[in-house]
Amino acid sequence: MAANIKEVKAKDFNVERSAEEDRELSFKDEVCVGCGVCESICPVGAIKLGSIGAIVRNDIDESKIEIDEDKCVLCGMCSVGCPVDALEFTVDGTPISEIETYPKLISSAEIDDDTCIYCKACERACPREAITVARQLPERAKLVTGEIDIDKETCIDCGICEEMCPADAITIDQKGPEDFDINVDKDKCVYCLICKKACPVDAIMAACRSCSYGEYDLNPEDAETTGKALIDDDACVRCGWCEEVCPVDAAKVEKPFEGELKLDLDKCTTCGACVDVCPCDVLFFPKSSAPGTIDDKLMKDEQFCIYCGACENVCPVEAIDVKRTGIKCTPTKSKSWQKSIDSLKN
Amino acid sequence: MPKHIASGLKYLAALELVRDGYSQKQISKMLNVNKSTLSHYLNGRNISLGSIEIAEIVREFSPKDFLVFTDAIIEDKEATKTIVKTCLVNKYSAEVKDSCIGCGICVDTCLIDAIVLDDLKAHINSDICCGCRICAEKCPTNSINILEE
Repeated sequence: MAANIKEVKAKDFNVERSAEEDRELSFKDEVCVGCGVCESICPVGAIKLGSIGAIVRNDIDESKIEIDEDKCVLCGMCSVGCPVDALEFTVDGTPISEIETYPKLISSAEIDDDTCIYCKACERACPREAITVARQLPERAKLVTGEIDIDKETCIDCGICEEMCPADAITIDQKGPEDFDINVDKDKCVYCLICKKACPVDAIMAACRSCSYGEYDLNPEDAETTGKALIDDDACVRCGWCEEVCPVDAAKVEKPFEGELKLDLDKCTTCGACVDVCPCDVLFFPKSSAPGTIDDKLMKDEQFCIYCGACENVCPVEAIDVKRTGIKCTPTKSKSWQKSIDSLKN
Repeated sequence: MPKHIASGLKYLAALELVRDGYSQKQISKMLNVNKSTLSHYLNGRNISLGSIEIAEIVREFSPKDFLVFTDAIIEDKEATKTIVKTCLVNKYSAEVKDSCIGCGICVDTCLIDAIVLDDLKAHINSDICCGCRICAEKCPTNSINILEE
């Protein structure tokens, strides 16, 4: 029988067996959050979770998981269990997420472009830097309307308007000691009238039309910001931060696991390993409310927890209990696979 | 020498197949032997008694040893399958337990293509299975039972 072939590339690896079918498992260390679900679901004990605490703190430079290619039977269970898609399994080149007989965790994160106002709140909040909001701002000139004219005969070339213009719309071209040109760039001018008010010789005539007559000659559509919000599926862990911070409910997140995160603050030694490992910024140390006071040792924003269990694994004093009560997964006819998926509940 | 033993095995299979009513043309295809050689075999010519005697001994091997030996010596998968099916007379029923994870190791291991995967579970065709138990030995979850009928 064909033996497994392992290929290691930096911290990533591939394990492959080519016989009746070509089976291949690929691991991307950058995507892995070190939760250990793969280690617990592997039916043959081929996967070993690394020293995640030291790895996330950059104390050691190692891959987050190790695989024994002689033990691995290339069944693909680790790939199905992985909540962040760090392990991809393909059969004859097709990812098993596209093969119906294999079960699949149900999770998603989407931003609806029709609803999105491109405020970038999600981009700032995302703990995985998985969101990029590419936006096209409206043209400034189309948002204002007015008139401006500088009487060159009255103008004394003092340069005050040029210095004061907040939109950098006025330029003076000094050609000689008494020879100059003064110009207003109407694409930049916002008719704020600062120049008019500041001019010591009243050489500037300017009026803001919208202030005087309303916005009758402006098209509201010209004020819209357009764009696209992109989620990098590799980096996204479906934590739900984007959904929470979105002011217009454009972001929708479905998490693969349901559960409960329990902290035992009597045991916690505030070492911070859990805070460092959490891929979702769920755990944090509170700021003390007054000098010399200590509030809770450790706090949680559980609504962002994906119940991956990375914090529980990394805690040296068993102060964290991650209980998975539900696994959202497509059905499978295989009893052993169903059993393995159910075993992720605890 | 290996060629002689291979001839002996093919001879034994050919005799069984003739008894089962196959024509020489069909048999020559099934065993990948040209027709004139086959007709020599069946008429008792051009094959040493020693080869037949050794082939008879090989036939008494355990199914696993017989299969592995035949596979190594015949170097032709279809002919191996025919020889194993005709020379090994015991019937086996193979059962795959629900603990099967569908890893496909058994499919890759089976020398006579008796196993397929369906819905993440191995299915063993008992009509083809020769009882070698190689799959059961390799199964990582001990999910295969092969019983002699």
